[in-house]
Amino acid sequence: MTTGLKGPPDVGVPVDYRAALPSGPRRLGTRRAVLLLITVTGVWAAFHLQLDPRGLIPDGGGLRLAGRFFGAALTPALTYEASFVPEGAPPFLQKVINAMAVTVSFAAAASSLSLIFGVPLAFVSSQAWWASGDEGAGARRVIHAVGPVVYGVSRVVIGLSRSVHELLWAVLFLAAMGLTPLAAVVAIAIPYSGTLAKVFSEMIDEAPRDTARALRDAGAGPLSVFFFGLLPRALPDMLSYAFYRFECALRSAAVLGFFGIPTLGLFIRESFTNAQYHEVWTYLYAMFALVLVADAWSGRIRRRLVA
Amino acid sequence: MIRPAGDTVRPADDRGMRLEAVTVRYRGLAALDGVSLRVAPGERVGLVGPSGAGKTTLLRVFNGSVRPSEGRAVVLGHDVSQLSPAGLRRLRSVIGFVHQDLSLVPNQRVVRNVLSGKLGQRSFAGSVRMMLFPRRLEELHVHGILERVGVQEKMYERTDRLSGGQRQRVAIARALYQEPVALLADEPVSSVDPARARDTVDLLTSISREQGLTLCMSLHNLALAREFFPRLVGLRHGRVVFDGPTAELTDAQFDDLYHLAREEMLADGNGNGAAVPPGVL
Repeated sequence: MTTGLKGPPDVGVPVDYRAALPSGPRRLGTRRAVLLLITVTGVWAAFHLQLDPRGLIPDGGGLRLAGRFFGAALTPALTYEASFVPEGAPPFLQKVINAMAVTVSFAAAASSLSLIFGVPLAFVSSQAWWASGDEGAGARRVIHAVGPVVYGVSRVVIGLSRSVHELLWAVLFLAAMGLTPLAAVVAIAIPYSGTLAKVFSEMIDEAPRDTARALRDAGAGPLSVFFFGLLPRALPDMLSYAFYRFECALRSAAVLGFFGIPTLGLFIRESFTNAQYHEVWTYLYAMFALVLVADAWSGRIRRRLVA
Repeated sequence: MIRPAGDTVRPADDRGMRLEAVTVRYRGLAALDGVSLRVAPGERVGLVGPSGAGKTTLLRVFNGSVRPSEGRAVVLGHDVSQLSPAGLRRLRSVIGFVHQDLSLVPNQRVVRNVLSGKLGQRSFAGSVRMMLFPRRLEELHVHGILERVGVQEKMYERTDRLSGGQRQRVAIARALYQEPVALLADEPVSSVDPARARDTVDLLTSISREQGLTLCMSLHNLALAREFFPRLVGLRHGRVVFDGPTAELTDAQFDDLYHLAREEMLADGNGNGAAVPPGVL
């Protein structure tokens, strides 16, 4: 067998193994440098923020509070913890279930809205939407004229909507519109539309192109190729991601409760300020249950679609 | 048959394909180099030759998706260089193309994959209607075709639940649902086992015989090519090295076709014997 190595190995002279490797950029070196850079950045950030692991150990009062809070985890409240309950208040569990329902409805409304805006935005911000080349001369002129503009604008819109967190949008909208459900839903839907559009467009662009090519070879027009050749290949991933975003929307809706909309977050805050930790845990478990159910549901649908 | 408005009706005798000194260049490299070839209506032609010889490019010129850099390609009576994008689409809509990788949507039912063969003959609105709400008659048509290729009982199964051989039949069914006048097949049997490969070539050639369909198929398997095709065209380096009735071709000619290619591969040292990078073809 010829190996191409220089020099017989049994003479004790080190074989110049590098000469036997193909020349070209040494990728391995770059990778090491990147790894080093990441480590250095992490250490620098820790020093800059003066992070001290000893800060994790609470002092006497804090320790007692933490003990009480985590101790309550094993015994979540089933009835009101307070001795005084206002007249006409619903039973505690009823109140929890109501809060769950409100959280789900906010998340569902925000998710639907973000799909309505995110999906078309994803189409026009994907490369595949603009790159077909099979259209007629007239259509091509229009695409050449408006394509780059629409593509660029959609990318900017996506960037802007994503760069501001839903909590900041909420502050803005609640100030402008007051404490309305619509304000909260729109606050969640804006950054979610941007995120969906960005991720969906990437999924569309990364989907296998073979079906699209086959349909083009069967004479299908650009729209048909996109919707029946490309989109179906990206759909399982898109669906799975949409469900994940619904899960995120559940959390966001809960957190917006801190601003006063009657989702789980509102009651978590109320019980927490009143030091009713057993109630807090009931709400936390309710949240956990919601996410779990959403996850199981998305898993079932995805299995039906993919496996 | 429903056609977009403005479709020209082709005379029945205009179903052949003709290349006149066709050269196709990709970034300066000639994938086809002065190829002249005439395929009569209803003829079955096997394309043989080593990887990178230009077989795929030749098939893509036949369906109008690659335009000749020089020369003329006349397909079903149309000069492909003269056709508008819409005209090219109409041309492709009556030419079935079976790909090596099958190109089906795996998470879709078989029936939808077959239905998508007719997307080129529908407006976009008509396509949406057909794909979402197929008519009874369309489903019957699909069933008939699946019956012909032998997978009718899989019609409502998800495509990724089918075996490789069955999926290949679905890909063929999709091409047949176009009601094509010609079938092009690019290495349709290179990714299945020998028994399946033989079945598939048998199926495609007998359909071509039954329906008088012109059939052009590229294949690596010389034994199958000689068994099923009355005429073989040998390509190397984008040139036709032989073209004639299978019976008249000698073993030496076949040996030549592949032997030379092998020598070039060894000379190259990296196993890249192809004149053109394989990805291009």
